[in-house]
Amino acid sequence: MFGHYTIPLEISAAGISLTIEREGGGFRYRSACNGATVEKLLLTRAGAVLINPVEPLHRPKELTTTLLIELEKTLVVEPATTKTVFLTFPIEIGVFITTNENVEVLDIFTLLPQKFTLYGDPRSGMICKYWQSKISATVPTTVNPLLEGVIQLRINNTTSDWVNITRAVFNAYTMKIYYNERLVAMRATMKIQLRNLAETTFTDEPLEQGMAKSLELYTARKLQVPLAKFVMEAGL
Amino acid sequence: MIPDITIYGEFSVLDLLRVLLILFAAIIIAKGITINLKRVLKDRISKDHLEIINKVVYWGIFLIAILTVLPVFGVNLSGLLVAGGIAGIVLGIASQSVVGNLIAGLFLVIERPMKIGQSVNIAGTAGVVEDIRIISTTIRTFEGLYVRIPNEKVFTTDITNYVEHVARRLEYRVGIQYSDDADKAIEIIHRLYEEHPLTLRNPAPDLFVDNLGDNAVEIVVRIWVPSTEWYGVKKELLWKIKTALEEQGIEIAFPQRTVWFANEPQKRELEGAEDPSMH
Repeated sequence: MFGHYTIPLEISAAGISLTIEREGGGFRYRSACNGATVEKLLLTRAGAVLINPVEPLHRPKELTTTLLIELEKTLVVEPATTKTVFLTFPIEIGVFITTNENVEVLDIFTLLPQKFTLYGDPRSGMICKYWQSKISATVPTTVNPLLEGVIQLRINNTTSDWVNITRAVFNAYTMKIYYNERLVAMRATMKIQLRNLAETTFTDEPLEQGMAKSLELYTARKLQVPLAKFVMEAGL
Repeated sequence: MIPDITIYGEFSVLDLLRVLLILFAAIIIAKGITINLKRVLKDRISKDHLEIINKVVYWGIFLIAILTVLPVFGVNLSGLLVAGGIAGIVLGIASQSVVGNLIAGLFLVIERPMKIGQSVNIAGTAGVVEDIRIISTTIRTFEGLYVRIPNEKVFTTDITNYVEHVARRLEYRVGIQYSDDADKAIEIIHRLYEEHPLTLRNPAPDLFVDNLGDNAVEIVVRIWVPSTEWYGVKKELLWKIKTALEEQGIEIAFPQRTVWFANEPQKRELEGAEDPSMH
């Protein structure tokens, strides 16, 4: 599914159907996923299409730029130590049309149900995209790359206390997503500064050799990137 | 010495230097204050109003400087002060409501109970804030009407801001029949909440039997949603709850009365009478 294609194009896989067919002087784009259909007319003579996983914050609506991953079990981290665990995150699939150096987002869809949550209190908190994840000590091997990706989370407890972690919150616009035909992955770090305060950042490095880097939506949309880290002020 | 040299009458070079120094200092102070005002207020009020405030402050400081140097030229300000005082009293009485609105407007800028584009309710007028000006605030009601509210009224009345907080709670009261299973009804509603993408995972919903009413068992449904999506979810969810309950055989109760007779009514059998239900 992921990769570069030329148009016209027809793809069907795992509940997703995508066609770009010639029509008149241009092309007609059609996609169907989970009962939702999108149709667009492309006024172009030629072009290439890129399909890759994108930051999971566009469906069903762009309400937030933060992703909250709730851990299935509480992690208890030793003082002054660095440990690595593997979590999962939800996948949204972006379809881009590219001509020369210009890129435009055609469509974004996902096979997963969506949920939001509040991080903090209703007054000063923030709405986050919600995801619940199992915790693994190694890279999970049973994840479907069209549904879930893997985050390698390096937890650095800089305090002199044992710290309980029940969730991790990330700024989705600083995600660095890499993919190959069987895995979608990211590397992230959580630096715990106090018992209830931590910073999360992403590392721009693939989890495995040979992985391709996803075209990030802020690049495609020419958006200004916010701060490269997220401060979890409302607790761990 | 040069400073003692007189230019005109008793006006010396020293006096001229003093005047120029005072005016120069006034310009520097006025510039400094207006630059800082611009930096502090630029995100809080519109560009036009900020320009007006800056001009008023700048020329106000310059006017004070002029009044300070006038005695150096031999101008007696005492008469001007008396006339100014009387004019001030008259103007003050005539413009007290305008000044009240102006001061209230400045406090609204500082306090910021609402921003342009937010849905609010001010003294019973609900709508979207279109503009917050120095004297008044304009609201576009949900019916599309233009309402101008003087700032003094805005400042001294209750302001309900529907979107200032990121999350807002939605509440329904669902009445089911006494013969239906309330636990099952709560389970169905909870499933709807789980499936709806815009109902928040946290804070968790509150679903419970709140009242054993005259006509129904009342279940209260309290769900949190993002403030920006509150109205859309409110319109959508109640009917979904109703249809989901009915699909599972749970009826929404309507007002009804069960009548119990104190004595059994006497039955009379008529000989040869036909059964009326056959007609």
